[in-house]
Amino acid sequence: MRFKAIAALGILSLVSIVPAFGQATTKIGVITSLTGSLAAFGEAHKNGYAIALDEINAKGGVLGKKIELDFYDDQSKPDQAVQGVSKLIDQDQVPVLLGSYSSESTKAIVPAVSQRETPLIIPTATADNVMDSKSPWIFRVCAGANDYAKETIAFLKANGAPKKMSIVYENTNFGQSNMKAMSAAAKQAGIELVAVESYEAKSPDYKAVLQRVKQANPDVIYFCSYLLDATTLMRQSREVDLNPKYYTSSGTGFAAAEFPTEKGAGKNAEYTFSVSQWLPEAKWAGSKEFDAEYFKRFKSHPAYHAIQAYAALHVAAQAINNAKSLDPAKIRDAIKNINMSSTPFGPIKFDNGQNQHPVLITQIQKGQYRVVFPADAAEAKPIIPAPVWSKR
Amino acid sequence: MLRLHFGCSILSAFFAERVGTNASAPERRGLKNLVRFLQACADGLLTGALYAVIGMGLALIFGVMRIVNFAHGAFLMVGMYATYVLFDYFKINPYIGFIPAGIALFIFGYLVYMALIRPIRDRSHFMQILMTMGIGLILTDAAQLIFKADYRQTNIDLINRSVHLGPFGANAAEVLSFAIALAFVIGLRAFVVRSRTGQALRAISQNAEIAPLMGINLVRIQGISFALGTALAGIAGGLLLPRLYLFPGVGEDYTTKAFVMVVLGGMGSIEGAAFGGLVLGLSESLTSLYLGNQWALIIDFVLFLLVLSFKPAGIFGRQRA
Amino acid sequence: MSLFKSWKFWVGLIVVLLWTRMPWFIHNNYQLQVLFRITLFAALGLSWNLVGGYAGQLSLGHVAFFGVGAYGLAIFTELGVPVWIAAFLAAIVSTAVAALIGAISFRLRGPYFALATIAFAEVLRLAATNLNVTGGAIGLTMPGLFIGRTFWRSFYLAAVALAVISFLTNYWASRSRFGYYLMAIREDEDTAAAVGINTARCKLYALLISAFLTALAGALYGSAFQFIVPDSILTIDISIQIAIITMLGGAGTLLGPIVGAVLLLTASEAFKNVFQESHLLIYGILIVVVVLFMPEGIVGGLQHRFRKRIKPPKDVKPQPVLDGAAQ
Repeated sequence: MRFKAIAALGILSLVSIVPAFGQATTKIGVITSLTGSLAAFGEAHKNGYAIALDEINAKGGVLGKKIELDFYDDQSKPDQAVQGVSKLIDQDQVPVLLGSYSSESTKAIVPAVSQRETPLIIPTATADNVMDSKSPWIFRVCAGANDYAKETIAFLKANGAPKKMSIVYENTNFGQSNMKAMSAAAKQAGIELVAVESYEAKSPDYKAVLQRVKQANPDVIYFCSYLLDATTLMRQSREVDLNPKYYTSSGTGFAAAEFPTEKGAGKNAEYTFSVSQWLPEAKWAGSKEFDAEYFKRFKSHPAYHAIQAYAALHVAAQAINNAKSLDPAKIRDAIKNINMSSTPFGPIKFDNGQNQHPVLITQIQKGQYRVVFPADAAEAKPIIPAPVWSKR
Repeated sequence: MLRLHFGCSILSAFFAERVGTNASAPERRGLKNLVRFLQACADGLLTGALYAVIGMGLALIFGVMRIVNFAHGAFLMVGMYATYVLFDYFKINPYIGFIPAGIALFIFGYLVYMALIRPIRDRSHFMQILMTMGIGLILTDAAQLIFKADYRQTNIDLINRSVHLGPFGANAAEVLSFAIALAFVIGLRAFVVRSRTGQALRAISQNAEIAPLMGINLVRIQGISFALGTALAGIAGGLLLPRLYLFPGVGEDYTTKAFVMVVLGGMGSIEGAAFGGLVLGLSESLTSLYLGNQWALIIDFVLFLLVLSFKPAGIFGRQRA
Repeated sequence: MSLFKSWKFWVGLIVVLLWTRMPWFIHNNYQLQVLFRITLFAALGLSWNLVGGYAGQLSLGHVAFFGVGAYGLAIFTELGVPVWIAAFLAAIVSTAVAALIGAISFRLRGPYFALATIAFAEVLRLAATNLNVTGGAIGLTMPGLFIGRTFWRSFYLAAVALAVISFLTNYWASRSRFGYYLMAIREDEDTAAAVGINTARCKLYALLISAFLTALAGALYGSAFQFIVPDSILTIDISIQIAIITMLGGAGTLLGPIVGAVLLLTASEAFKNVFQESHLLIYGILIVVVVLFMPEGIVGGLQHRFRKRIKPPKDVKPQPVLDGAAQ
């Protein structure tokens, strides 16, 4: 009896591995991390995609049909992502693919997608090696780690030119690739690297690491952290009385909406600099509305991962409409020539597959993010040096 | 209170005098290094106390039932979520909320034991391990389905306060959780040594075949020890909540750490596991200070393997591994 | 040879031939990848079975050998070694690692052994995350053991070949004296030692063979998916997956690991497609259910059922055990 029930469930499930027939909607493939260590970001992606999906379908979808998203969970692992490419393209025959979340999963799927001659739109992966292959099928919406480093160095040079830098980065792909990018950029700019410290993310105690940094006495610290470690790091920086002239960072945790609030580091976040790809207050049309819609649906403010997913889906839909066809090669050409002058994520145009997305430097002043660099986008002057902890 | 203040000022004076302008540069540096070392030790012990609570919970389960409980970290996560819910909805401070969370975990652990572990207690170790793995998976994914994968944080006032003792500083919340954890270590030891249930536990831990002949209700005591073990994991979760953050997978690393502690301390020894926790905290902190944080976890495991190689019974162990 | 007279041999041969022809029956790469994964894990389960099934040593750190195989392939190829030789070199290195792990861990029993193996695997994972030679957390691009348009088919056939070799190793173990020694160790290690079996050496040999095969599987897997990071190729999840497949299928049986791999991996992939986010929950429930109701694993449970139905031969009369025994 038990066996029969289990067998029935098994057969029903097996059906899912077999392709489906006939669709009244157009499917667009999405690979993201729905489970695993990066699930929180996969969820941000899913939410961003959901908002874009509704907007696109409200306007009639693409080529007269509504679109549907065909998700594959890469479980935060690159080999699963590669399998997802196969399922979505070989079996479900999607004309265009979006994803994945992490740099390593994205890097893993690039050859698989290129081999299958289907366009891939990358929303969030910032590691630069992702674009190394120069394949004509790969397009990236977000800016890369090198851009983060270059912009930060440019900002530092124009604002005091510090001599010694320490990099504190988490021991993951995100952290390591940003550390590498900044190390190269700093060396080129003649800045001396002292105390390049890696840490194991999600630990309760970073005081020893920060003591090591303090010993090296850097002028500027470049953090590569996610939000909750960012909170812990700033709080413990105060506890060990670490006072560089500048606290800078490669975004993410230090650019999250909650970071300057009570849900993040609160007052400890004051005076920190961060690179930023997007803020709810950004001057792009639709930015604030996206933030409001996201908050209405999901009761929290979006990090930029969500809007990058949103933008990627809009690019896909627009490209299909421009191409007037579901042929992957035509869609690829449409993406190549796309010129979206005004989206909530700014203007989108691809040059050799890379969207020339501007990177801004922001500083938290009085609990708000203020753009301080480059000069033409700046709305406030940077406050340098950061006051020592005992005087705050 | 007065004595503490007195001690404070003596220490401050001592260090101020040494680090003042009269001391030579190497002397000052040497003292600074000493301060740094001691501070790292203090930080390590503060974190280690929390680890100890987690380890003791597993020592109970492992020592009494020889079950490699892969769901231990998941129970910690459940305790953390329970404490978080109390904080988010009822505004109960986690340093109070951990108590109802612990009680809830106790009941939950008992039910899990009765429903899922007891039926297979005669089966091979393999199957028991498999079962706990399955339970862990269910708990983790269920947490993700209910609470979503988002990271959550509690922000209470205490986490932003520090206490100072001379040149040493510590986070007020960490000191509080240290005190609570210490209370549990002492309390658990007293329970195990003095109470009848505790003695029954130790009897089963020493020889599970003879113990029932002494009139001990094996199933009930094992159920209690499992429940107590998971309750401790849940309490540790609650205490961790203000200083860490919460997401469905948070418990995974702590399962392995708990095993390291239990082995370090010696199986069947609850004080050993607590000691193992302190050792882990200390070693992680000192490794972070002198080698860098990325080596801290490796050192944990290397320590573990060293102990296994040279003293498999653990530091406090009485039996062969 | 009596082997060819056995019906089981012929059935097995036909199954293997059909299994090899699978790529020609299915039409897309996705299903082929799923089959590849199932076959490779069957091979992994069979390799693990030597240590975990026959010798009864619960190793939960087998991913160490898997990862060494994959990283070894990448690093040796980087050094200029031809790609297939690199794969075998990697397997040899993995065997050396196994010797080290065995030397320390086999002095421990039961759960302690399991924990030691976990610790070793974690040390390797953390080392791979921190060292530059392994690419750190950023990962490494793997060399292609097979390239060209039908490379998935080639990988699949290689996996089948590895599975067959692992199966034959199991078969030999179950029939040979060495295999009996292992089973004796599993049943009661102290008595086995008392009887004169060199338990340490037997366990070590089982581990070495197992490690070699596991490493080859790791090299295949890494090369097939073309990119590895420590969190995908040295993660404890894989160790647990291998152990679960074999234990649920039936540890210490010949078919157990195969049945386990087929059922569990198919279920896992199907759950992912059908249940999306809750697929791990369903998978966990599946494990709990099987453990509760099928204590010896699926194959073990079936064997148990069949054994009960075997009747004694008709021409044997029950004899009294002792002369003069009453009744």
